Amino acid sequence: MNIAETHAAQVFLSHHDFVKGVALKYAPWPGLMDDITQQVFLEFMAKESKWDLSSDARPLLATMTRHIAMRLWRERTRQQPEVVQKLADHIRLLAEEREMPPRYEEEIGVLRSCLQKLPDKSRELVELYYYNDIGTPEIAEQINMKADTVCRALSRVREKLRECIQQSMKQGGHAHA
Amino acid sequence: MLDSDTLIQHYLEGTLSDAEAEQLHDLLKAQPELGEQLIQHFEMDAMLRATKSLAADNIIRPALLPKRRFTFATVTTVAAMAACIALMSAWMAMSWLKSDVEETTASVAVLTRGVNLEWESPAITPGTPLSPGLLKLKSGIAQIEFYQGARVLIEGPAELQLISSGEATCTRGKLSANVPPQAKGFRINTPKGSIVDLGTEFGLDVNDASAEVHVFKGEVELHKAAESMKSLKEGQAMTFAAESQLLAANASSFASLNEINARTALSDRSQFERWQAQSAKLNADPSLKLHFDFQDDESARSLRNHVAQGEDGSIVGASWTAGRWPEKRALEFRNVSDRVRLGIAGETKALTMSVWMRVNGLDRSLNSIFMSESWGDRKVHWQITREGKIRLGVAGKANAHHVDYDTPVFFTPERFGRWMHLAVVFDPIAKEIRHYANGELLARLPLKDASPLKLGIAELGNWNDRRHQGGVAIRHLSGAMDEFALWDRALSDAEISKLGE
Repeated sequence: MNIAETHAAQVFLSHHDFVKGVALKYAPWPGLMDDITQQVFLEFMAKESKWDLSSDARPLLATMTRHIAMRLWRERTRQQPEVVQKLADHIRLLAEEREMPPRYEEEIGVLRSCLQKLPDKSRELVELYYYNDIGTPEIAEQINMKADTVCRALSRVREKLRECIQQSMKQGGHAHA
Repeated sequence: MLDSDTLIQHYLEGTLSDAEAEQLHDLLKAQPELGEQLIQHFEMDAMLRATKSLAADNIIRPALLPKRRFTFATVTTVAAMAACIALMSAWMAMSWLKSDVEETTASVAVLTRGVNLEWESPAITPGTPLSPGLLKLKSGIAQIEFYQGARVLIEGPAELQLISSGEATCTRGKLSANVPPQAKGFRINTPKGSIVDLGTEFGLDVNDASAEVHVFKGEVELHKAAESMKSLKEGQAMTFAAESQLLAANASSFASLNEINARTALSDRSQFERWQAQSAKLNADPSLKLHFDFQDDESARSLRNHVAQGEDGSIVGASWTAGRWPEKRALEFRNVSDRVRLGIAGETKALTMSVWMRVNGLDRSLNSIFMSESWGDRKVHWQITREGKIRLGVAGKANAHHVDYDTPVFFTPERFGRWMHLAVVFDPIAKEIRHYANGELLARLPLKDASPLKLGIAELGNWNDRRHQGGVAIRHLSGAMDEFALWDRALSDAEISKLGE
């Protein structure tokens, strides 16, 4: 990799979370965010010599991410049954029409601090589900609970984390979380 | 029946069954606030997954086998990035990367102006992009600009076959061409031979027996089968026949730009006056509930409703611009704030809406034409989808489901930037919704619920969703409007056709 490519990769890395935020807005489909981010990176690097990297790369990355998100969204959802496609289109419309800009970039830093504040049981649930990739039916079986109860518990954990992030952001962001 | 938390979790986990997908979709439609909750859970879910790599040191070793949910690893770590870069370098060499899917057009020219046009081929109006094919002009003068830069005036009766952005064949009639240096090499073929322009102005008159070329400025090359190329200079003319004959050029026998300018101005004035007369007649219809003709003073921030005792509209943000003709005024909707606020009191059993508008592009998932404020309880949303379908959405009573009545795709990029007439009819007697474009029926759809509509406070070119305290959906129009009318009866096909003339 030459110097220009290294510089382009650094520019992308510095905006990595911004790209993820845009991807979430335009393609709210489980697991698609990472695929989009990866594809944006590859296409950004492929045309690296075309970009003026001395100026703010965000507008360029936002446009690229939006196009790629739409493309991958179409590819992913058209494999689904019609009823799922309709639901997916409805959710995408909801996400796209939200006026508030993507806040992933700011919130992910705060989230790490909020995770430390969770009660032990909640943190264990996060670790089992998110870090060990164990599905809710298997978690339910292991802890002898109904699968629906696990779903609701995960929902409450996410709500708690959302409240914590909002509280921290009001108080000045990451440093105060 | 599963609760919403469980359904959302199944969506996030990718394990939603078809029945659950339908149930969740129904819930989202019935409870708009649930949509915001789902998006928030979705974002938090994505963030939690992204923290996995950073939490690797603290992972509890599972007693269960991990469930593989997604196929792509996160690229948040520098190591993963490096792997991607290495992969990318190899893939670049193989040129595997696909470019973004872009929309394409086959058009090679555009009809920019026309005076008293009558076509033998399918009718086209100024602003229409033209693809390769045959144009048969019965009468009138048409100005065509080729994408390579040549400008051609054809006088009916004439036949012109468009071949490419720099070439056409004239088989009958008169034309004059202005070819700037950028379009040098522009070629016109005739049954008798071809003319290659070297950056100039020339006229061509083709009939059954011969073709005459007149050079007004610059130089052209004449190519005839089995003969050597001839050069024709300014002031010269030549017949293409069995025997070529050199003549003096006669510019006065061909249409000029000045002539089309003058005739276009006259034609615009006459159409504007005809519209003024029709508009006055329209206002006398007792079923008309709203009529904005957009002819208000250009400093005005309200739109006069020409219906007696009708409520005027209030302009927010939108700016004044030119309408269908130079003397016609219009409002340009450009920004997220631009809109016209209006009010229609009470219920209406039937409804017709008509608008003259220019759509510049479909920037949003939904692009507003006429939108009742908020949503629900028989409110109406008339809008254009990003795909270019025209949609009339009618909300159900109380929490009942809404129904969208969509046309096939109508707004393609070729239609952007041109004035169009759209109309929609809610007809409870015929039990149908009818969509029209430029006076012609576009779609006839069975009406699922014929109960009366409640328009209430509404907006042109934008939507105010008052249901949420936080963000409001962005659906502003990118374009302009120069007339809007609304009736509380179903207009007939013939009446709509007249409005769209």
